[in-house]
Amino acid sequence: MPEKQAPRRRLRWRPWLRATHRDLGYLAVGLTVIYALSGIAVNHIEDWDPNFNNYEETHQLGRALPGEDAAVAAEVLRSLDIDEEPADVFRVDTDEVQVLLGTRTLHVRTDTGEIRDEGQKPRLLLRIANWLHLNRGKKAWTYVADAYAVGLLTLAITGIFMLPGRRGILGRGAIMVLLGAAIPFLYVVLSGGP
Amino acid sequence: MNTPKPKTREVENLLRRRSFIRRATSGTVIAGLCGGLYVLDDLLTGEAKAENRSDGRPRVPPGQRVLRALKPMGGTPGSPNPSDFSLTVYGEVERPLTLDFGGLLRSENVELEVDVHCVTGWTVLGARFKGVRVRDLAERVGVKDGVNHVIFEGAHGYTANVRLGEALAPDVLVAHRLDGRSLARPHGAPVRAVIPSLYFWKSAKWLKGIKFVRRDEPGYWETRGYNNHADPWLEERYA
Repeated sequence: MPEKQAPRRRLRWRPWLRATHRDLGYLAVGLTVIYALSGIAVNHIEDWDPNFNNYEETHQLGRALPGEDAAVAAEVLRSLDIDEEPADVFRVDTDEVQVLLGTRTLHVRTDTGEIRDEGQKPRLLLRIANWLHLNRGKKAWTYVADAYAVGLLTLAITGIFMLPGRRGILGRGAIMVLLGAAIPFLYVVLSGGP
Repeated sequence: MNTPKPKTREVENLLRRRSFIRRATSGTVIAGLCGGLYVLDDLLTGEAKAENRSDGRPRVPPGQRVLRALKPMGGTPGSPNPSDFSLTVYGEVERPLTLDFGGLLRSENVELEVDVHCVTGWTVLGARFKGVRVRDLAERVGVKDGVNHVIFEGAHGYTANVRLGEALAPDVLVAHRLDGRSLARPHGAPVRAVIPSLYFWKSAKWLKGIKFVRRDEPGYWETRGYNNHADPWLEERYA
């Protein structure tokens, strides 16, 4: 009797694809959150400052503030109950002294006692996300961003083939892929492009 | 049994209806007010669009909407302290120059009303900037022959390139005051460039240097897909 041949093992590539997609997906969560949030924030830069909460208010001391710049600054800080050492005190005009603090500047009119208090409070997480997204730090982040982009491409391509459709590659998946690709295509056509 | 009495239910319904009507009315009023404000602001744009500049171009470039005040548009802030300020005017010049804030104040200052246009679509008309003309600084340092571009350098490596002729226009300033007040932090305090004839990203904030060069050096946004020239009237927004 001829020896029975062992059945040829079929290459099962879909489970590998799914595993790759799943693990890449996990890896991409953190970066996707950063890029997505920052993308929305920066897209609407004409409506708000995505990095800082800017504020400005006016205080009126109701009296002139004669004397040396340091004395003016001390008087202003005492009046506004600010317990912070100024980083700089500078007379920018005959009647205007600037008192610079960590995140705010007090513009003091020494002739009228009017104080314009303006500053920027960083939007902590968003500022960091924007810094990363816009790659303001440069250096090693370029490699991270490139790797993330390659990861997204891999996710997109493995996503197409992860689950076999009833009609193979030409079924529902193909329609969805074409619909997705049509969005940028139509936008370029309808807007006239660059 | 806990079933509410019919009369109580009627009252509850009435209150619910009343509260719904109240909320709907407030919503409509707020939406109406916001719409009204938007229309009012657009009236500002409409009025300004009817005006022309002395060079014959419309006062408001295409695709712009007029706002009443500058918007802070971000950027990595430099030190706002006047004592830290130092402006270096250098490159292809005979006598490089470094100015501190006091030196800037002691230089010949002018106050000009200019219109500025942001690439994101807003315009502010008649912003009153005070500062020193770049043209005057260029005269002081003696620009060499063959210079074609000027690079405005801000904090943290930000740069913007401008053609020499446009950088030396009489309304181009190294500015430290806006509308009679010292520059605020979000607008580049203590000193920024102001180049009204180009989109506002060319007007580098937290200005640190002005470099005269023979060959063009595209700057921060110019190397990130924005137009190298940035003429608002030609809508040169992107590359």
